[in-house]
Amino acid sequence: MKEVLITARQLGLASCHDCHLLSRMPELSGRQAAYCPRCRGELRQRKPNSIARTWALVIAAMIFYVPANLLPMTITTTFGSTQTDTIMSGVIYFIYDGSWGIGLVVFTASIFVPFMKFIILIYLLLSVQFKSITRARDRTRLHRLADAVGRWSMVDIYVVTIVVALVKLGIIANIEAGPAAIYFASVVVITMIAAKCFDPRLIWDVVASQDE
Amino acid sequence: MKHAEQAPQAQIQTRRSFSIIWVVPIIALLIGGWMAIKAWSEKGPEITIIFESAEGLEANKTKIKFKDVEMGTVTEIRLKQDLSGVIVTAEMTRDAEDYLTEQSQFWIVRARVAAGEVSGLETLFSGAYIGCIPSKEGQPAREFVGFEKPPIVTTGLPGRHFILAAETLGSLDVGSPVYYRGIKVGQIVGYEFDADDESVNIRVFVSAPYHEKVMQNSRFWNVSGIDFTLDTEGIKVDTQSLVSIMLGGVAFDLPEHLESSQHADQDRVFKLYANHDDTKQKTYTVKRYYLMYFDQSVRGLSPGAPVEIKGIKLGEVLDVKLVLNSDEQSFRVAIRVMIEPERIDAEIQSRVPTAATESFADERVLRDDLETLVSKGLRAQLKTGNLLTGQLYVDLDFYPAASPAEVVIANGQRIFPTIPAPLEQIAQRVDNILDEFEKVPFEKIGKELREAISALTLTLEEIKTISGSVNQETLPRINTTLEDLQGTLRGIEATIGEDSALSYNAGKLTDEFLVAIRSLRSLLDYLEREPQALIFGKEGEK
Repeated sequence: MKEVLITARQLGLASCHDCHLLSRMPELSGRQAAYCPRCRGELRQRKPNSIARTWALVIAAMIFYVPANLLPMTITTTFGSTQTDTIMSGVIYFIYDGSWGIGLVVFTASIFVPFMKFIILIYLLLSVQFKSITRARDRTRLHRLADAVGRWSMVDIYVVTIVVALVKLGIIANIEAGPAAIYFASVVVITMIAAKCFDPRLIWDVVASQDE
Repeated sequence: MKHAEQAPQAQIQTRRSFSIIWVVPIIALLIGGWMAIKAWSEKGPEITIIFESAEGLEANKTKIKFKDVEMGTVTEIRLKQDLSGVIVTAEMTRDAEDYLTEQSQFWIVRARVAAGEVSGLETLFSGAYIGCIPSKEGQPAREFVGFEKPPIVTTGLPGRHFILAAETLGSLDVGSPVYYRGIKVGQIVGYEFDADDESVNIRVFVSAPYHEKVMQNSRFWNVSGIDFTLDTEGIKVDTQSLVSIMLGGVAFDLPEHLESSQHADQDRVFKLYANHDDTKQKTYTVKRYYLMYFDQSVRGLSPGAPVEIKGIKLGEVLDVKLVLNSDEQSFRVAIRVMIEPERIDAEIQSRVPTAATESFADERVLRDDLETLVSKGLRAQLKTGNLLTGQLYVDLDFYPAASPAEVVIANGQRIFPTIPAPLEQIAQRVDNILDEFEKVPFEKIGKELREAISALTLTLEEIKTISGSVNQETLPRINTTLEDLQGTLRGIEATIGEDSALSYNAGKLTDEFLVAIRSLRSLLDYLEREPQALIFGKEGEK
């Protein structure tokens, strides 16, 4: 016997995002909006404009990803000799230096994870737009992963800010954050918002509509 | 009402409003695009520089700087195919593009101690960088050959470049100072060998305001090291500053007797004199050449020895040659001298000789003056200038008693009459005296001496016989007398005893006499062997 999956939307119900009160959604017209009767939070059955927002943010993040990797992340001045390091040159430096562990962590958090998030989000967006019904559960899992792992990319930014604050030894050694830091932080923040903007229920809406 | 219900239902379409979220990627795009455009617009030309070694250079780190302003960054360092050097690829800034021409120079700035200054100390910490002199002149270029040493930066500095033609570079080098009255006013910026006239062209830079002091008739001379000269004037040591002893240097000034003329133009060629004295000497542009023949030895006469009148230098000896006169089968010495008549201030001419007012008519007058003086007894003579070193010089003076002569021209050369040197004259006289001596009959004298000595021996023997008879006959009688005398003598002994001075002196006198006799004998023996010693003295004591 096939399990019958009924969604709140099919029943004309909506759960409040803030207090999770289940209430019936009225028919809305024009510029009207529904509000939770308990906490006055805005009620929505799906995240509004989810696909477009996610697309916009993913594209913005991808644009910022380029300068984040090409521009120097840190500017190290030792005895008057200035060395600039991009994320990748830092990783290579760590690996050459023998610090495989740190190199791998930085590479994963700063290069691999953001890139992986782009791939996941684009795949999810395309799959929803082209109404794919295959492996819906795996796709939901991917979204959860993208959402959970995104914040860890900020590790790089934290390291840079701490090092910049600590290494202020005048002429002997001085580290400054490069322009890439801002772009990289933007990439991380924007991809995090993009992951939040994407509504995984859209995956299942497609599946449900195909079932009908 | 019924009609109204029959009207078709208007279709509802949600107006797709432009979502504000799309501003985010647009902003991102604007930022990214702006950065890309900026990067592209700032991207200057790529150049390659060939260096001998890339010591201290690092790709993506080493900067190219001019006046400490960044002009580019080294992007790649690789070896030349034949391993003879390195090719450094650098990306220049866009501003630098106009300044990359054939005239542009590049060199590696490292810490170095050279040419009297320490430079590039900052590179000890920051690492080497590539220095450059941008230039707008010449064809645009993208490939350069870098210098190992920093060239002297003079572009943009007020001043002027001049070229000094020298026989050798000597101890001069790039960076050697240029002095004007002891003040450092510039430096040597380069040198090159001129294959055409086998000379070295030294490029100097004189900075403002001193470049105004370089006149067209200024003279540059070398003040390198210690100028040590040994000539008939004695020993002379001439130095400039301690720095110039170490590094060499060039000084310039206007000769005292010259009026300053026009300012020298950029790149004017000057002759570099070997020393300060030369600059004074060479102010005499008129030179007369004469040949002088001497029969005597010219040991001590070398090219460069002065020709003097009354101790004043008039010219110098150019070369000394031995000439075989095949007719007379004798050698004589030909000396070629150069006389600068301008050194004589003729009172008939109120003219002060200057290079600027030189004219050939005056020169002829002077030469004729000198030659007419020959008929008045002017002769050349070799004289010892310095008894210690035995250096000779040519002295011109009047010898009214000399046999008449004049300047004759043979084989296109003017031959100046000479007379023998005073030393030569003395030697001649000594020779004559010796000839006289030779006439003395030394042999005869010796023979006579021997006869005299044998006669003396005979006499002595006779004396011996006499003394023998005295012993045998006279003595006994004397004995008695002596005994009589003894009494008296005893009394005398009190006054003239054995220890008395009289007896001592008498003993000594006897000894001396014996010695005298002995030496007389040895003298006689010696004279017998070497009768000439009577005149010349002992051989060994000469």
